[in-house]
Amino acid sequence: MAAASLAAVPDPAEIPAFLSVDGLKKHFGGVKALDGVSFSLLKGEVHALVGENGAGKSTLIKILSGVFPYDSGSISLAGEDYRPANPHVAKELGVQVVHQEFNLLDHLSIAENISVERMPTTRFGLLDKQEMNRRARLALDAIGLTDVDVKAPVSSLGIAHRQLVEISRALQCKSQILILDEPTATLTERETKRLFDIIASIKAEGVTVVFVSHHLDEVFAICDRVTVFRNGVSIGTDRISDTTPDGVVQKMVGRQLAATTNEADPDRVPGELALRLDEFCTQANPKEKGVSFDLSYGEIVGIAGLVGAGRTEILRGIFGVDPIRSGRILQAGNEVRFNGPRDAIAAGIGFVTEDRKDEGLILDMPIAANISLANMGAVSRSGLLQFSEENRRSRDGGARLKLKYGRISDAVSSLSGGNQQKVVLAKWLARNPKVLLLDEPTRGVDVGAKAEIYAILKELAREGVALLVVSSEMPELMTLADRILVLAEHEIQGELTRPEFSEENILKLAYGQARQAGGQKQ
Amino acid sequence: MKLLKIAAAAATGLALLAGTAQADDKPVVGLIMKSLANEFFQNMMAGAQAHEEKRGDYKLLAVGMQNETDFESQINAVENFITQGVDAIVVAPADSRAMVRPLKKAMEAGIVVVNFDVALDTEAKKQQNVELAFVGPDNRGGAKLAGDALGKKLGAGGKVVIIEGNPGADNANERRLGFEASVAEFELDLLDSRTAHWETEEANSVFSNMLTAHPDIQGVMAANDSMAIGVVKALESAGRDDIVVVGFDNIPAVGPMISDGRMLATVDQFGTDMAANSIDLALEVVKGGPQLEGWVKTPIELVTAN
Amino acid sequence: MTTQTLSETMPKPTRFSVRNVLQNAGIGLALLALILFFSVFTEHFLTPNNITNILTQITINLVLAVGMTFVILIGGIDLSVGSVMAFAAVVAGKAITLPGFGPAEAIALAIVAATLTGVACGMINGVISAYWALPSFIITLGMLNIARGAALQVSDAQTIYSFPYAFEEFGSAMIYGVPVVFLVALFLVLVAWFVLNFTVFGRLLYGIGNNEEAVRLAGHSVYWYKVAAFTICGFTAGIAAIVYMARLNISSPIAGIGFELNAIAAVIIGGTSLSGGRGSVIGTLLGAFIIGVLANGLILIGLSDFMRQMITGVVIIVAVVLDYYRAKYTSK
Repeated sequence: MAAASLAAVPDPAEIPAFLSVDGLKKHFGGVKALDGVSFSLLKGEVHALVGENGAGKSTLIKILSGVFPYDSGSISLAGEDYRPANPHVAKELGVQVVHQEFNLLDHLSIAENISVERMPTTRFGLLDKQEMNRRARLALDAIGLTDVDVKAPVSSLGIAHRQLVEISRALQCKSQILILDEPTATLTERETKRLFDIIASIKAEGVTVVFVSHHLDEVFAICDRVTVFRNGVSIGTDRISDTTPDGVVQKMVGRQLAATTNEADPDRVPGELALRLDEFCTQANPKEKGVSFDLSYGEIVGIAGLVGAGRTEILRGIFGVDPIRSGRILQAGNEVRFNGPRDAIAAGIGFVTEDRKDEGLILDMPIAANISLANMGAVSRSGLLQFSEENRRSRDGGARLKLKYGRISDAVSSLSGGNQQKVVLAKWLARNPKVLLLDEPTRGVDVGAKAEIYAILKELAREGVALLVVSSEMPELMTLADRILVLAEHEIQGELTRPEFSEENILKLAYGQARQAGGQKQ
Repeated sequence: MKLLKIAAAAATGLALLAGTAQADDKPVVGLIMKSLANEFFQNMMAGAQAHEEKRGDYKLLAVGMQNETDFESQINAVENFITQGVDAIVVAPADSRAMVRPLKKAMEAGIVVVNFDVALDTEAKKQQNVELAFVGPDNRGGAKLAGDALGKKLGAGGKVVIIEGNPGADNANERRLGFEASVAEFELDLLDSRTAHWETEEANSVFSNMLTAHPDIQGVMAANDSMAIGVVKALESAGRDDIVVVGFDNIPAVGPMISDGRMLATVDQFGTDMAANSIDLALEVVKGGPQLEGWVKTPIELVTAN
Repeated sequence: MTTQTLSETMPKPTRFSVRNVLQNAGIGLALLALILFFSVFTEHFLTPNNITNILTQITINLVLAVGMTFVILIGGIDLSVGSVMAFAAVVAGKAITLPGFGPAEAIALAIVAATLTGVACGMINGVISAYWALPSFIITLGMLNIARGAALQVSDAQTIYSFPYAFEEFGSAMIYGVPVVFLVALFLVLVAWFVLNFTVFGRLLYGIGNNEEAVRLAGHSVYWYKVAAFTICGFTAGIAAIVYMARLNISSPIAGIGFELNAIAAVIIGGTSLSGGRGSVIGTLLGAFIIGVLANGLILIGLSDFMRQMITGVVIIVAVVLDYYRAKYTSK
């Protein structure tokens, strides 16, 4: 066991580098994923790894957790050469990873998931359920999830709780190093705060936490040091107290970003009414009352709220994906009824979905095929594909969004997250939509691409497109939107205009109702 | 006609469900058939039903199976018949060993059991201490009739192949043994022997390939007529009219082939009457006649063009 | 995410890509190896007559496998094709032997009857599994029984025979030693290849196999595309029934037992992914050849029935394992 081997190590505080990586390189075929990475982890620190998508963080994590071997360079853990043959060995040595994609078994109980790697058995070799539940209870209590029943199936949990169950699973196996790969990507602010409390307590026990995030505010809130990656190379490590977010971003992108203004866009003048929702209520909405609001051409309306507040459901309802229980949608004053995405698309609406892997993209298919997916009519003649037309249009669409790719026939899965998201956008822009619905348009997208996507969306508004943006990132909404509607428990709690924009105001509205309802149930 | 048959089947099904087999004074005979997907048994079933109507002095409960190897539903049928208290069970066993024990139970319950079509395994009967006669055709003898016809035509040294039925099935085994007996007696040269699972299309492919491997084949013994048809088709596409084919079963589809010489012979075991004849024998015993003993052979006949 | 560098990308073969060619070449090489092996170790393998035999023998499986490719590409499976083929053959057999028709009318009637029966069964499979979003495995398992029962019911379990002579002619006709029925199958392969690679319909079938939700949200009616795929599969079962009848001049209600498994094997050996979204009908053609060459060659080599069955099983497994490595290799 890892605990035993580490007991021999003297007081951790005296060890300058608990884990050190030197000149690490890793190639996949001809592609350099890591091309010289050097950094060190101290015992009991919270260390951030930041960098744009494709900078090499994920590859590094997979090497540390024993998924891939490395080509050259060296890693040492507590003074020993560290070269885990597989994830199991890495875990034995105390290196635990909580991945971005969950590894939970939906239909098993929380307790079973927590113990899945080492099931407790009775003397007769049978599963010891009592012991299993006891361990799970301890593990959940350790991270403050005292109100969750360990016998409940994981499928009954919301995303945030699943994340926490993953963390508790990793923690119950005596970790020395806990790697959290974008743990807050799916969490709301409040859940993030809870996670930070947990990280602080883990740190207090002397565990080293590696924190991978795109959110610099989070990095600056809880981390001790930060290492920046760019193009497979480590640019450098700084103490958080010695640097600033701007400094980190500059290192990440290798250039300076224009600061986002809080000023209203003077070129953007809301035009005629695009959509009006009148007591609009989807099947997913448990409330009697629906939501009502207007969206005009040339306007960006943001929808804020906690996860589970019913934000996505509104977009899905408008787009005809989810059935509508009551209420009306009016387009240019006339009531419309969409029986499916096809109708909505025909009415000039586009929908950039929250989850590009499950709903937005066909990962194994070429970029061109993805871009033309919603616009097959334009790239075919009587059912026959016109490949040159498709490629031409796709290249044009890609160029408009500054899409970076090898060949237009490459699979979308070969692109970085930001570029994948641009493909989703390009797919809808190919139809020249009049109304664009966007759900978490920059989730899992790096800083540079984020800024580019913001610019594109603003440009669309200037061209007269009506945009409805759902996001969990308040700075994103405050950058983009002309108005922000704050949703809680499927009801609009309030509307903020630009001068009223502040995280505080948004949170007040988002939480006001939720606290009364007594929980953050999904 | 067909509608009537469906109605009859439905009626027997209902009777089985309700367990009202003893509704009147007529003796009740439970008939357990093999797969009704096989036209041989389908015809036999139709023959039995016609027989019931004709005699009118007994009541027939008939059960078929899903496929050739589904002996479990046969065992269930025996048990159901015991529960219903039928007077006689007439059974064509799907497995010559597995059926011995349930039939013993039936006999102990005082039910007259007649085993037809395929004989129960002698060893298994001895082990279970069961004395049971067999009513049925001599598959081996029948195959030998066909084989002998081929042997006579080709003479000693004639090169032949055998297309077998399902490996493991008793009648397939018996027929193969009958063919092999002819091969020995007429000193034929057996080049190859393969299964085509009783099926036309497979026999067609398998025989085409055998013919490629052995272009000098002179005669083919097919364990049933469906496979013989496949062989004849293969010969036609290969443009060979010098190869002699014999089959078994005398299904209507081979009639024209025998009359125009594409097939030399087949064997008729009068399947349509077989179940009906067995029922007659069973009813004799029910009425107090002597117990059946040994092997009551049913007629078989070689069918040729003249 | 850096996973971009190692993702198991198998882009859809929009057109000939190097990777696509490589993929099919892998199966082609395996086929070539088999052919070489049998040519060396048996006397008659590479004779014109035997080649004709092989072409005839793979025809039915190839026809069924072409339809199966469509269904497997959308992530479904059709277990009913063998039974549907028998049902279609029996219905067509009844039609062709109806009194009062000349040979030409009778044949035309039979062809229409067989294809309509197949199309109807396939459409039912598709409508039920797509409308209620049920696993096609279980729906088509039901259809397997329904169609088999219907075939036995309609034929009264009797083999139907004595078809018009012209029909028989068609079944055994050759053009330069190539059976006409095989050319029919080859034509179906070409049409399927064209449809899958050059039409919007084909593109969206691949899309559905990869990510049904994305296709639905892009405004396409996934339901109808699924129904169409199953209907095509039923249609090819109807064509297979015609080939069966023409070749053997009978309609047997017990024909085609287990044919679905051979068709699925041909598709999978041909490199189409059982989970859908990846594969090609050219691969299916080669897969059908591998199965047919194996069945033929092992008899020529004189192997016993039981050994033959075992080796066929081994080859199926080896082909799929090889495909795993090929996919892995070609994606790098």
